[in-house]
Amino acid sequence: MKSISLFIDKGTWLNRLHPYTKLLYILAAVAVPLIGGNLWLFVAMIVSSLLILASGKIIKNALPLIAFSFTLIIVIFLIQGLFNHSNETAFFSVFGLTFYKEGVMYATGIGLNILNMLLSFGIFVLTTSPQELVDELEKSGFSPKFGYIINSVFQILPQMMSTKDTITDAQRSRGMETEGKLIVRMKAFLPLISPVVMSSLINTRERAIALEVRGFGRKQKKTWLSDREKNKGDRLIGIILVALIVLTIVWRVVLCR
Amino acid sequence: MDIAKILKTKLDTATIVLIPACIGINYLGKLFASILKLPLWLDSIGTCIGAILGGPIIGAICGAANNIIYGLTTGDNITLIYALTSLGIGFVVGVMARLGFMKTFPKALLCAVGGGLAAVIISTPLNIMFWGGTTGNVWGDALFALTQANGMGVAVGSFLDELVVDVPDKLLTLIIVFFIIKGLPKKLTSLYDVNAEIENLD
Amino acid sequence: MPVITIENLKYKYPGTDTLVLNDVSLTIEKGEFIGIAGANGAGKSTLSQAVMGLVPQFYKGAYGGKVILSIDGEGEINTKTTPITKLCEYVGLIFQNPFNQLSGAKDTVYGEVAFGLQNLGVEREEMKRRVETVLKQLDIWEYRDRNPFDLSGGQMQRVAIASILVMQPSIIILDEPTSQLDPQGTEEVFRVVDQLSKTGITIIMIEQKIEKLASFCDRIVLMDKGRIVDIDVPDNIFSRDDIEELGVRPPVFTRFCKKYDIKNPDGSYPATLERTMALLVGREIDVTEDDIGEIQNGKKAESVVLESTGPEGEIVFNVSRLSFSYTADVDIFKELSLSLDKRPTAIIGQNGAGKTTLVRLLKGLLKPVSGTILFGGEDIAEKTVAMLAGKVGYVFQNPDDQIFKYNVLDEVMFGPLNIGMSEDEAREQSLKALELMGLKGKEKENPYDLELFERKMVAIASVVAMDTDVIILDEPTIAQDYPGRQMIAGMIHELSKQGKLVIAILHDMDFVADNFERVIVMAHGKILLDGGVKSVFSSENNEILAMARIQKPYSFLLCEEL
Repeated sequence: MKSISLFIDKGTWLNRLHPYTKLLYILAAVAVPLIGGNLWLFVAMIVSSLLILASGKIIKNALPLIAFSFTLIIVIFLIQGLFNHSNETAFFSVFGLTFYKEGVMYATGIGLNILNMLLSFGIFVLTTSPQELVDELEKSGFSPKFGYIINSVFQILPQMMSTKDTITDAQRSRGMETEGKLIVRMKAFLPLISPVVMSSLINTRERAIALEVRGFGRKQKKTWLSDREKNKGDRLIGIILVALIVLTIVWRVVLCR
Repeated sequence: MDIAKILKTKLDTATIVLIPACIGINYLGKLFASILKLPLWLDSIGTCIGAILGGPIIGAICGAANNIIYGLTTGDNITLIYALTSLGIGFVVGVMARLGFMKTFPKALLCAVGGGLAAVIISTPLNIMFWGGTTGNVWGDALFALTQANGMGVAVGSFLDELVVDVPDKLLTLIIVFFIIKGLPKKLTSLYDVNAEIENLD
Repeated sequence: MPVITIENLKYKYPGTDTLVLNDVSLTIEKGEFIGIAGANGAGKSTLSQAVMGLVPQFYKGAYGGKVILSIDGEGEINTKTTPITKLCEYVGLIFQNPFNQLSGAKDTVYGEVAFGLQNLGVEREEMKRRVETVLKQLDIWEYRDRNPFDLSGGQMQRVAIASILVMQPSIIILDEPTSQLDPQGTEEVFRVVDQLSKTGITIIMIEQKIEKLASFCDRIVLMDKGRIVDIDVPDNIFSRDDIEELGVRPPVFTRFCKKYDIKNPDGSYPATLERTMALLVGREIDVTEDDIGEIQNGKKAESVVLESTGPEGEIVFNVSRLSFSYTADVDIFKELSLSLDKRPTAIIGQNGAGKTTLVRLLKGLLKPVSGTILFGGEDIAEKTVAMLAGKVGYVFQNPDDQIFKYNVLDEVMFGPLNIGMSEDEAREQSLKALELMGLKGKEKENPYDLELFERKMVAIASVVAMDTDVIILDEPTIAQDYPGRQMIAGMIHELSKQGKLVIAILHDMDFVADNFERVIVMAHGKILLDGGVKSVFSSENNEILAMARIQKPYSFLLCEEL
């Protein structure tokens, strides 16, 4: 079965880090440039995320995650560079279109923000197993019911996706067309999605039974098969990240005076 | 009908298990739409079904969980931000369904408009805050560019951008959902009935 | 004090008018192995779920009477009022679908089995000890780090049993645990059941594989339309004269002994091979092949004669030097050649043997990598699935992969209308097909209000109605009881009589022996055996059949013993 999770276990220090520490890193990476209000802070955080990815040997895996954002960034550049309301200073012209400095700067800010968010988030998703995340959340008092929702999607979705071809084949076998004019294709949608809905609801009933007969939802403290290994890095990195956020806030407050 | 009744929610095992199934349905809706090359997303069918069967709170959870988990599977935290939008859609559709708006076809259309507007109202500020007003949809963004070239406000432009994208999508989504729900047997829907009681035969 | 006491139990599902359980009373003693037999819809699963508390706590509905468990050290427990999450300490339930029994919350077999113990709050060391014991006991220790969803059906079902067993219940309910498994998986699970029966746990098993029920059970509860008809030892239950009318076909051994008047001292007929052989010690009986055929088919020899076209008959499919693979590095078929005439043909073999892939190629859903498939002399590689839809019909295994209409008739008419029949013609064909599948009178019902076994019939009818020259059935007998299997058998005979080619993938060997003229045995993408029923299952092929892990029909086993 192909997993839909992006988690890769390379046994590096990033894998050993507590999920919360990595979540804290996302917070710091996003908050510091926004609070600091300087474009260079974005660059600094992006470089730091890239270095971290490289040290975890996952930089290659991170690239596909950000690739899709480039079209979005280009669109933003076009629209803001050409039409931003504060546009005054002409910056450069191509094909008779004049880009303005204000709009381009604005778009740069947005573009860097997108990249920064994606990269810091990438560190988290690439190095954290969803199961581990949920276990840790539950140990900190998060409801096992919500934990179940997250865990089970990772297990059930691949199964549901594998029914896609069977359903398509079953309906095509009964002479249904899936290609051609828009109206033909629209008409094919209901015969394809309906069986998915019905069979997943039927399966839902059985799975609910299977969970109840194993004590799921019982008002009792759960026990665990293992504890996480204590990691010294977590504390140190946590302190640095919090300090970084506090420093930025202080710096900003002082600067505004 | 009072508010407590509209918001009444069961969090039993059957309902909890419904949520991942709805997220799966969202995903397959989107997948089939792209296989059939339909010009819409159709990625909130499951959220709407969850909202109709389980009520507004379950709808909201389906929507939010959908985007959070999708974010975890694609590494795309842009989707994560729009968890708010999905939450809104699930909530509004759930409320309207409890008010009887999924009973007849014309009413279902109103429910669709409600869901669509919820999406627009929540997404627009997010679009402006994060991307200066664009949505990432070709047709919507072309419209946005047009409004900006003509000097209209960012908010107005972004609102229109989102409107032309979301309302038709939600309209079709809820038409499909209406037809699916109509065919659901009582045996399945009774599991999610918040008012179900055990009748005594002795 | 009996471990289970059921008194005047009545139950109705929500939104329905019929009592699925109507005044049921029953007591079960500690350590007993109880079987529940009866036609689909008799109330077997509902009864077992009442012991688990799912009826009425999970389903709601209308409930009367009571079910009391008496557990050592716990006193009396009413299953209507004790929460299921508490009851699960005493009762465990295993049902048909192995996939739906996985919690979906764990990504390893080890974690999956520990899931229930975590919920019960069992201490870590105790939890580890129990999980390890159970995994080893059920022979799945080696899979402990695998993702449970990646396992085969039989392995998955053993994980499901392990997950229940680890919670150490006093009572285990097995609701047709092998109905969705292939022969190998079935064998694996029954081996486990055999182990369980020796542990002193009270077991309730619902099973359509009647020979198994006969050999495991201390007593059998015979049900019909929500009531208990009889509770007795297997030999007595299966010796009843009205047993077939109640939708239960007695084991082949009972039928054999009835014919030759081989009786237990108390006048009943033995229901297992062992008990039959024990009675035969020192007795000579003269058994002819025709007699065995008659016992097998349950009919006189002349009524099963088909208009056999023989091996030289008209060739429908001609497969030559077919090669196929899903991924470049693993060949499914290499240079496979085969021709199919109009004889009804069963394809048997383990999961993964290539059976489904072969029929999908015949249907044009898959395209050969090399080689040709001629259908009526034309190469099907040049035709689209839509072009073949009117010629070759294919019934998928799971009816829920195709049903989407609000009523049965519309669902069945979908295919005929798609292939260009007129509204009237489509209706006529559909009504005919529905009648053939025993669904007359259910045309206006919502297919999802029907039970799975009826939905399977709807799916079959929806393909039969397309009036295709060839009809391919993938595992049609799953979830069917004896009357259901009879219905499918009737359909196969009827279509063959009309000159259509019927091809079926099957795991039910007795059904194969009863209803097909040609049997193709496959393993690892190769055809191991191909011929008539008698020649394929003859004892000279024992080694090959064992290699393909095929269990022979019981009548053939009996013949060999004699």
